[in-house]
Amino acid sequence: MRLPLAHFALDVDVRSDARWLGIFGPSGSGKTSLLESLAGWRRDAVVSARVDGVSLAEHLPRRSLPIEARGVGYVPQDALLFPHWSVRRNLEAGSVRAGASDRKLVERTLAVLCIGHLLERSTTQLSGGERQRVALARAILSGPRVLLLDEPLGALDRALRRRILPYLLRVRDEFGLPTLFVSHDATEVQALCDEVVVLEAGRVEAQGPPAHVFSSVRGRERVVENVLAGVVTELGTAGAVLELEDGGRALVPSGGVTVGERVVFALGSEEILIALDRPTRISARNVVAAGVVSVTATAEGEARVDARIEGGGAVLSVTLTQSSAAELELRAGADVHLLFKTTACRVLSVPEAE
Amino acid sequence: MLDDAAVQVLLITLRVAACATLVAGPAGIAIGFLLARRSFPGKSVVETIVALPLVLPPTAIGYGLLSLFARSGWLGSRTLRFDLDILFTWRAAVIASSVVALPLVARTARAAFESVDTRLELMARTLGMSRLRAFASVTVPLAKRGLMAAAALGFGRALGEFGATAIIAGNIPGRTQTLSLAIFSAIQDDDGARALQYTAITVVVAFALLWWIEHLSRRDARAGRAA
Repeated sequence: MRLPLAHFALDVDVRSDARWLGIFGPSGSGKTSLLESLAGWRRDAVVSARVDGVSLAEHLPRRSLPIEARGVGYVPQDALLFPHWSVRRNLEAGSVRAGASDRKLVERTLAVLCIGHLLERSTTQLSGGERQRVALARAILSGPRVLLLDEPLGALDRALRRRILPYLLRVRDEFGLPTLFVSHDATEVQALCDEVVVLEAGRVEAQGPPAHVFSSVRGRERVVENVLAGVVTELGTAGAVLELEDGGRALVPSGGVTVGERVVFALGSEEILIALDRPTRISARNVVAAGVVSVTATAEGEARVDARIEGGGAVLSVTLTQSSAAELELRAGADVHLLFKTTACRVLSVPEAE
Repeated sequence: MLDDAAVQVLLITLRVAACATLVAGPAGIAIGFLLARRSFPGKSVVETIVALPLVLPPTAIGYGLLSLFARSGWLGSRTLRFDLDILFTWRAAVIASSVVALPLVARTARAAFESVDTRLELMARTLGMSRLRAFASVTVPLAKRGLMAAAALGFGRALGEFGATAIIAGNIPGRTQTLSLAIFSAIQDDDGARALQYTAITVVVAFALLWWIEHLSRRDARAGRAA
């Protein structure tokens, strides 16, 4: 697609098999314009887009597929709920295209997003997180072929974002809709997306699996969040044991999780310690063998060490001082042990009460 | 209490103002919508023409309309080859009032439409509504109070119209004499009591109208605060 913008032209050509495709980039890189063009809101955009082989938008400027015929479920950053209607009426507006409302879908959507108790409320009485969940439900109920989510967590503060993220994970796992997820938060993209496109000044800078793309894009970022996913194999008093998707095990807080459930958690790079020998008799519950992939000097006398969990597992980033890295003689290929507390792992896939 | 003559003047006034609102209301709202939502070549010229009656003396508007409907005018019997029978009838008063009310209606309606986020209409269409349905079920309800205020202001302006009406409708008691014309006649006849009575009626009608507009905007402000 092509679209002239004020300071640059958006020029994007992307193909992907990912169900959830992340669009990552700084503010002003053209992310919102991309989604608005796909939705048909930008009349001057030249777009050719297909979902599962079926045309979504195939048009020239001013001769485009009508907005109502595109079959997209769009959730903008500000939710854009109809202020003169109740939550129920907003959701019914979503069922216009889907025809007679599918009761099962409605019930499932209300349950997944926990908004059943909000139906009679005015949209002006909702909190920021509730607004986003209602907007998401409305988009799902419109029976879209593709979901376009424009920083659905962007307008929320950090704590609230962490609370809404689990709902997005649920939507992803429950509905399986092809989704474009726009964000400038690497943690969110890593937690949600199978693939990410990095946009910079209207052009594609990189594309690939989030962990891989972000490790090259992160450059000299001081602190990064590691996002890992796994399935709960055991529940104990100390926490839940996860069999990580990329290999390895981890013990995370067990609140709200059940055996067999897929869990996503975040772990800050500054929360991990490195030991050369396997430590014994220590309080940290997680001790993981890993191999150093790279050591990067970052700002303020600190270094970031990227280490791959033993057996071809995920790459974890660790922040430590340059003097510590020098003392341990860390370099690519070195065998280390990564140590982190159970409580340092923030489970993202379990909704908290708002 | 009101005597028959006063009741007759009041009824003519209300009828003229109501009909003028029916003419200027939809036209002004349509113009307001175009100015708020569409860009087209010559838009600023249209804006200026629409605003013109706000600054022109009503007598100039009246003379312009008189020339238009006069026998040899563009809408006169000689040009059309039949007589529209407008001049010096209550319909002429309606036309004069409509022309002076139109800019007020158009400007207020424009502000009402501009206060509605256009993306809400786009969202309605993204959810599957047709352009017309999205407009009718999202934009119109959200602009409704502003549009009602526009119509009320148009009605108010029509109520007080004098100059243009006097020129093309005359000041014919029982036919085209509205409250403002009747006050003028009473003063000319040195009938202070009658002038006072008509003035009092005008004040009561204007007060009721303004109170209603104020009530609408208070409700609007409350709804805004709740949002």
